[in-house]
Amino acid sequence: MAIILGAGVVVKLVLLLLMSFSVVSWGIILFKFFQVQRAKSESERFMDFFWKSKRFDAIASQVDRFASSPLTVLFNEGYSELKKVVETDSKSDGNAISTDLGGVENVSRAMRRATNSEITRLEKYLTFLATTGSTSPFIGLFGTVWGIMTAFEGIGKTGSASLAVVAPGIAEALIATAIGLVAAIPAVMAYNHFQHKIRVLINEMDSFSTEFLNIVQRNIAGK
Amino acid sequence: MDSRSAKIDTGMSASFIASAVIHLAVFLLFVWWGEQFSPQMALQETYYVDVVDLPVTAPQAGEEIQKTDEPKTEVPQVQPLAPTPSPSEPVTKKGTKFLKPAAPQSTAESEAAFQERMAKLAEKNEAQQIDERINRISSKVKSKAASKAGTPGAGGAERGSRYSDYIKSRLEDALKITSYSTTQNPEIAVRITISAEGRLLRIKVERSSGDSAFELSVRRAIDLASQKFTAPPDNNVFENGFLFRPKGILNNSEQ
Repeated sequence: MAIILGAGVVVKLVLLLLMSFSVVSWGIILFKFFQVQRAKSESERFMDFFWKSKRFDAIASQVDRFASSPLTVLFNEGYSELKKVVETDSKSDGNAISTDLGGVENVSRAMRRATNSEITRLEKYLTFLATTGSTSPFIGLFGTVWGIMTAFEGIGKTGSASLAVVAPGIAEALIATAIGLVAAIPAVMAYNHFQHKIRVLINEMDSFSTEFLNIVQRNIAGK
Repeated sequence: MDSRSAKIDTGMSASFIASAVIHLAVFLLFVWWGEQFSPQMALQETYYVDVVDLPVTAPQAGEEIQKTDEPKTEVPQVQPLAPTPSPSEPVTKKGTKFLKPAAPQSTAESEAAFQERMAKLAEKNEAQQIDERINRISSKVKSKAASKAGTPGAGGAERGSRYSDYIKSRLEDALKITSYSTTQNPEIAVRITISAEGRLLRIKVERSSGDSAFELSVRRAIDLASQKFTAPPDNNVFENGFLFRPKGILNNSEQ
């Protein structure tokens, strides 16, 4: 405690900055943890539900139960696009084969767009974790260098170089590096962890959209 | 999409609050930890040495024996001093012939008077010193009776102790070099322990006015002075308190 209060202004500012980095990155870690966890479990439940149901409109009426899963967004987008295609198809009533192929492509495009937007949503704020992980050790190091500089200035003024004189200043300075590392280590670990989890979710989304398109194509072709 | 983004925001703020609370808790834990364990570290440093005795009869410290010798050596010194006027005689003798018989007489007379006076002074001085000694011994006996029974001899930290004065002057010399302060009238009470070999064992700041720069310079002064300490007399550990001020050092032992 006395170490922090006894430090210079620059070191204090550095410590404050690092503390705010740490608070924000831990906030993001907690938020992302729950977000990813919920997305994963609800995706699993949604896939079970999806394979059990026979009809798309039955799924569409129940889809709000799995609102946290990115797959439901994909499903909603694909289903609404499919409905539009079917509607225009029934209206035009003409050359069926060309609209069938165009319809599947439309649905595919809509789902790809939805996948992209979901990836963006899941990866949101993760850049801050990466930034914290890579910069806060340097910020801490800056604080330390500055603290040691002022400590040496003090030593020069008093003219003493005994350990009792040198040690407190250096201890004060080193706490900046310590706090920087404390902020950086969990941020880097969480960043890698979430990157992996999100990659798994992206794979799931891709496989779901291919499954969905398969079903659509089968049904349209079989019509 | 609006409801979704709103949900994100509420989740976000909740996790930020949770994060802030966790950080605060960790910080308080560290503060508590520091308060819990720093006194123990201070305790490790302190240990107590019994009141140190500097026997008065020791030649190194004792004024008593030296004082009794002094008058004896002083009196013979007066006699060699007296003939010094005699070399001036030849000068006057050469100048004035008629004054030749008178001059030695008067100088002899004055010499005798001078010697007599000096002897008287020496006697007086001796008597005074004996009185002083008696007074001091009696006061010492009194103070000994008043203080702890069973502590042998007089306290080495007592006012008359030469070794503490010596340490004080050494510290004063060093403080002249290092003195540096940022506040108006800083003062620091420091207890210093010196081993029987004359090595600095321990510095304990008992009281400080809070000027860290001055504290630093005092520590530096002690450091500097301790390089030249001679061993305390009679192979005893020496411990004494000093009150440091920028203008000088007070012997703080009586407090």
